[in-house]
Amino acid sequence: MFDVVTEKEISDKLKELDGRIPWSILSELKSELERVKDKLSEEKLNRIVERVVEEYEESLVEANEAVGTVAAQSIGEPGTQMTLRTFHYAGVAEFNVTLGLPRLIEIVDAKKEPSTPMMTIYLDEEHRYDREKAKLIAREIESTTVGDISERTEVDVVNYSLVIYLDEDLMRESGISPKDVLNKIKKSLRNKKVSLKGNKIVIEMDEIDPLEMRRVAMKSKEVRIKGIKGIRRVMVRKEGEEYVIYTDGSNLKEVLKVKGVDWRRTTTNNIREIEEVLGIEAARAAIIREAKNTLEEQGLNVDIRHIMLVADVMTMDGEVKQIGRHGVSGEKHSVLARAAFEVTVRQLMEAGLRGEEDFLRGVVENVIVGQQIPLGTGGVELTMSPEVFRRLKRDG
Amino acid sequence: MALSSSISPQSKIFRGVPLGKDRNESRKYTRFEKARIIGARALQLAMGAPPLLEIPEGMSDPIEIALYEFENGAIPITVVRKYPSGRKELV
Repeated sequence: MFDVVTEKEISDKLKELDGRIPWSILSELKSELERVKDKLSEEKLNRIVERVVEEYEESLVEANEAVGTVAAQSIGEPGTQMTLRTFHYAGVAEFNVTLGLPRLIEIVDAKKEPSTPMMTIYLDEEHRYDREKAKLIAREIESTTVGDISERTEVDVVNYSLVIYLDEDLMRESGISPKDVLNKIKKSLRNKKVSLKGNKIVIEMDEIDPLEMRRVAMKSKEVRIKGIKGIRRVMVRKEGEEYVIYTDGSNLKEVLKVKGVDWRRTTTNNIREIEEVLGIEAARAAIIREAKNTLEEQGLNVDIRHIMLVADVMTMDGEVKQIGRHGVSGEKHSVLARAAFEVTVRQLMEAGLRGEEDFLRGVVENVIVGQQIPLGTGGVELTMSPEVFRRLKRDG
Repeated sequence: MALSSSISPQSKIFRGVPLGKDRNESRKYTRFEKARIIGARALQLAMGAPPLLEIPEGMSDPIEIALYEFENGAIPITVVRKYPSGRKELV
């Protein structure tokens, strides 16, 4: 039999690795070693550790490797295999979600708002296991406008007024009284006389002006009676043990304020909103998550490090920037690199007016002027090795 | 448990300290550096420089000779690595 290593020896050995391999690998190695420590000799321990370090260093990217180009290709090629226009209905007759290539383009373009904003709202310990409690919160979040609960709108030519007929059933369902509706309309139409007659809202006009009538009718229909702005529809679904609320429309800031919402897990597919509410690191994580989910949903497997690089480039200045003219490519330092991308003449002219200088440090500039590019073998600078030279001289 | 005390998230690797200097392991050339060194030496040989070592019988291709010299550590060429901080070091 051999000498079994002690726990102290293991932890001493691991301490030596501090700074050489990442923490996550180190902790995994640690727990694995602990599992088999009864069968471990010192020699075996050393060999395992050596192999792990070797394997890790092997996986690192070498200096001067074109990681950006590789990332672009690794995301672009699977992109060609994606469905061009998919409007997917998640589940049975539910929300319309942009997926596939259009969604991926949306993410890298860092659009202000996705074409189908959606939220996933998780609930706290108290509300998450009860369908009724979850529904209560869902109803509180869903926005209801006058248009949603009105039956029809009529123009009363005799009395110079606009009449909105409210639907009793719809009002009861969402727990709204005609009085609430009246008050909300009064608030948003300050200079109009508004009154309530049974289930009718009467808005008095000064004159019969079709354009003005139309404007007022539109405006009154959009008056929000309850709920959160931007949340058009909600749906409660059971996910494993708990109930989760899905929404059509997104308003992270307001939803997080709602009591009963688990603000740690609640999220949205609107990256700009995440940036605004939770900060740039959260936005970076959101870009990675959204891009990864979009690719995976299409059955494509892209190494997460390519996506992480894209997210890093988009967020490294502290704000989410798009990949393109108005973002990453348009803000390059080099004049020639910017001119090579789009709107060449304008870039050159404006750079000329500003008296910009180009230091030819990037790849594109050097391709343009016909020099060796600072990438791969081109980024290597050779010198004489004093060490080898001395040895050669000594040995003759 | 013991892990958190021995390896902390404050360790060098997370602080962004270059791992170069205090790592007592001989650093390797990247594949690009290797290619440049062998390429430079092969060019010298092709232009008539005498080989630094006794060349095995039948070896005549300059690239092959350069590779042979490289593997035996005889090429007196190395690489300057420049870091964004401005620090330079020889490999």
